Amino acid sequence: MYPDDLKYHKEHTWVRVSGNKATVGITFYAQESLGDIVYIETVESDASAEAGTELTQIESTKATSAVISPVSGTVTEFNEELSDAPEIINEDPYEKGWIAVIEITDDSELANLMDAGEYEKYLEEEVKQA
Amino acid sequence: MKIAILGAGPGGYVAAIRAAQLGADVTVIEESEVGGTCLNWGCIPTKTLIASAEALHKVKNAASYGLDVDGTVTPNIEKIVERKNKVVGVQVKGIRGLFKSWGVTLIEGRGVIVNPKKVRVTLKDGSPEDIDADKIIISTGSRPAQIPVFPFDGKRVLSSDHAINPDSIPGSLLIVGAGVIGCEFAFIYKEFGSDVTMVEMMPNAVSTEDAEISQLLERELKKNKIKLLTGTSVEKVDVKEDGVSVRLSNGKDIEAEKILVSIGRSVNSNDIGLEEIGVKKGQRGEVIVNARMETNIDGVYAIGDVVGGVMLAHLASKEGVVAAENAMGGSSEVNYNVVPAAIFTSPEIASVGMREKQASEQGIKYKVGRFQFRALGKAHAMGEIAGLFKIIAEEGSDRILGAHIIGPHASDLIHEIAVAMENGLTTKDIAHTIHAHPTLAEGVMETAEDVHDAAIHSPKK
Repeated sequence: MYPDDLKYHKEHTWVRVSGNKATVGITFYAQESLGDIVYIETVESDASAEAGTELTQIESTKATSAVISPVSGTVTEFNEELSDAPEIINEDPYEKGWIAVIEITDDSELANLMDAGEYEKYLEEEVKQA
Repeated sequence: MKIAILGAGPGGYVAAIRAAQLGADVTVIEESEVGGTCLNWGCIPTKTLIASAEALHKVKNAASYGLDVDGTVTPNIEKIVERKNKVVGVQVKGIRGLFKSWGVTLIEGRGVIVNPKKVRVTLKDGSPEDIDADKIIISTGSRPAQIPVFPFDGKRVLSSDHAINPDSIPGSLLIVGAGVIGCEFAFIYKEFGSDVTMVEMMPNAVSTEDAEISQLLERELKKNKIKLLTGTSVEKVDVKEDGVSVRLSNGKDIEAEKILVSIGRSVNSNDIGLEEIGVKKGQRGEVIVNARMETNIDGVYAIGDVVGGVMLAHLASKEGVVAAENAMGGSSEVNYNVVPAAIFTSPEIASVGMREKQASEQGIKYKVGRFQFRALGKAHAMGEIAGLFKIIAEEGSDRILGAHIIGPHASDLIHEIAVAMENGLTTKDIAHTIHAHPTLAEGVMETAEDVHDAAIHSPKK
């Protein structure tokens, strides 16, 4: 449920880094808590992203929430397929359900993110206890 | 008492009936059609078009309701307009019938005030007729505002008056002005199949609404793939044989088959004798009145769009009632603090009272209750879960300062809160009232509870 090759942000987003490009999405836990996702707002290319702040908004049948960016940089791509089929995020949060690609400006931020083991521990000990 | 009324829109015809009920001998002068803009070119025509658009939407989305629909569904614009005309016709007849029933005389022609006791009408055949009156009520309304450099031609450059009578669905439509009118038409034409782009000078769509409501509407525009360019104005329009080419303030050019200009409305206060008898007007030509709807000239009243301010049919009607009662010796005033308003976008928007920004600017200590439509079982059953209820209440007194709703049936849901406001009730009064289940009105109760962090169907804060 939490692939080892990803880094995780405490606001339940993940990042897959390749060079200076980071692909981001929401975690299995996030999509499960949201329930059926019905809409995600398009992120425009060239939009700036800042770690720990809102990247876009996502709506499920239960709630409307902010997707928090795990890294800072410039958005280069948005997963357009989500516009017509946001449910892909529920079905495949780590592959087809990626949300955006961000060109990272400060890769030292990556050190603040958790690995899969740390994220799972964080879910067990802090999130699910709360 | 003889009362002459200029204009038979929702202000004038209501004033006429109330004055007649109070015993006046009433003559209404109308140069176009009874019901005015509201009934013939505004509220009612757009709502019938919206009803067609909604039916189309339901059929297109039939699968999500578990229905297998074979074949295609296509909007037939001729039949849609025919239905609209039929609905309008029935309502027009209704008003004419009410006039007859209350003994109101309707004169069809253009009226000009000669002096505070006389109106001269140019009848349809060109002949003049003088109407003597003890009191005069001006309710001449408004018309779509034009941008002088590209006047309406009804073919490529449309006003809302044209947009309710389309002869075809344009492949692409550029709407200038993302206010109430522009946004309603955006959803209608998008549903009918046009590629719709809106250009708005202000930073937001429906910028006079509460900021959270504007934001939510903008998201619904995006969901519907209606493009919105805010903070942008139109610099130049080239009308060509096959469409229009528009130069925007951001330097970009947009091509569209047609352009709808919905930048507001201008008051109809010229050439009706106001200058001649000395009626005071404001900068935009609006007739200046007091809370009793009296102009500066004794015995001359003005109501509705022509007095400027918020142009709403129901406010005009209320002002009509107040003017009629005062003309008949009463002492009525309009309460402008509690004026519900609705926008028939998809989903609908409704508001009453203050926006949150106003409360904050006035230094009032307030609390806000919010509740999502998607937390209501009824909204899920209907398949329409997007939306928000918001109530702003004064801290301490708990009185309601304003309420804002975006979501299905918002236009009906707002009135419970309007009644509460008009009567000084608190959010606790609403919260303590049992609301039937399953209804959307439960959301009003939950929002009232949420002002005190006690909504049942919201997670702990």
